[in-house]
Amino acid sequence: MTNCAKGVEELNIDLPWDLSAIPEYFFFFKDAALLTLQITTLGIIVGLGIGLMVAFAKISHHKIFNIPASAYIFLIRGTPLLLQLWIIYYGLTAIVTIPRFPSAVMALGIHNGAYIAEIFRGAIQSIDRGQMEAAQSIGMTYPKAMRRIILPQAFKRAVPPLGNQFIIALKDSSLASTIAVHELLLKGRQLGSSLFMYMEMLIIVGLWYLIMTTVLTYGVSVIEKRLQVSDYRSEH
Amino acid sequence: MITIQGLNKWFGDLHVLKGIDLNVKEREVVVIIGASGSGKSTLLRCINFLERAQQGNVFIEGTKIEPRTKVINQLRQEVGMVFQHFNLFPHMTVLQNVLEGPTQVKNISRGEAAKLGAELLKKVGLEDKADSYPAMLSGGQKQRVAIARALAMQPKVMLFDEPTSALDPELVGEVVGVMEELAKEGMTMIVVTHEMWFAREAADRVIYMDEGVIIEEGSPEKIFSNPENERTQQFLSQIL
Repeated sequence: MTNCAKGVEELNIDLPWDLSAIPEYFFFFKDAALLTLQITTLGIIVGLGIGLMVAFAKISHHKIFNIPASAYIFLIRGTPLLLQLWIIYYGLTAIVTIPRFPSAVMALGIHNGAYIAEIFRGAIQSIDRGQMEAAQSIGMTYPKAMRRIILPQAFKRAVPPLGNQFIIALKDSSLASTIAVHELLLKGRQLGSSLFMYMEMLIIVGLWYLIMTTVLTYGVSVIEKRLQVSDYRSEH
Repeated sequence: MITIQGLNKWFGDLHVLKGIDLNVKEREVVVIIGASGSGKSTLLRCINFLERAQQGNVFIEGTKIEPRTKVINQLRQEVGMVFQHFNLFPHMTVLQNVLEGPTQVKNISRGEAAKLGAELLKKVGLEDKADSYPAMLSGGQKQRVAIARALAMQPKVMLFDEPTSALDPELVGEVVGVMEELAKEGMTMIVVTHEMWFAREAADRVIYMDEGVIIEEGSPEKIFSNPENERTQQFLSQIL
């Protein structure tokens, strides 16, 4: 124990970085963290909306729906988010100039929409066919059976992969730093260069991401547990 | 009550129903037997249009059922169905399962629903399970809930698609008991089953199907003790 503590102390002395700057500057990043959170939250909301629509379009038997849906997923999943972001922010300037923040939200939303669509589609199609048949056998219309019987079960199955996707989205929001949105990563780089303390500031950035992903993971697990009520087999 | 005329159904190249004609009277209990793959479940599923037959017609009380969504949804309210694998809604309690149809399709009032729910659960002997979720129930209890759910729509006919095939042997009795009770009350029933004693006890008519054709039909006494057709004899000798 004491050896170990000693070791760390010695290490501290040898480190080329001033770790005391981490607590000192930690809350300098509050606004940037808030911006990261805003981009992510809005991006996810846009992504959920797109994802739900595209999932239904892809399941549809009508070609006018399922072909565009497949094309969208093909294009978005097959190219990097950074490219998509730059196309929106730089590429579109000849037609329309979209400010930085909305560009970031749009890119994140459109990008995640493709992944979320696949999550929803998979979840909906994983529900046993017998559920739709049972719903229809009591005279329910297809849309009503979807809404009352299939979707509640599908949402439950979609929660874990959605949580995963949200964490990816949170981290991907750092790409907005490339179009000068003052989110966490850009803040870390700027402060790091002006203070000559890159490592210290980047560690702070990392800590902020860790805090947010931890809270997000915990939130998703709470939701998962709540949704499991109907799965308990206890009082049989 | 139900008339089926010239029903033909193909799955791809496979001709599963070959010109089925069937007439089921009110209060009649018809049991369909036959080997798996004989088309008996498909026939049942064509009656409430879970499968679409390519040729032929279904008449309910003399009215021809046009294959339009609205007509089919109306038909399904009058034709209850019980599935081999129960297909209960796992995210709803027993009572919610039973009342889903009446409240969501028929829009009955809360008061009526409460009364109906209590009545139906009593009928299938599951009053104490009203607030349980399906995952907490045994197979036999699940199937009794499924029967209550179908009955909740107050159908004119009940279709049973191998209702006991997925059950442990010791649980078959409780489900068949409920079905016998229904038969006694005069419910019109078409039952696909391997439970020959149910056929003997409760059926007014037994139909033997093979390779998409009705081979023989008659009273249970006649089919079980004195089958005319060779294939019926063979089938019965294998299972009895």
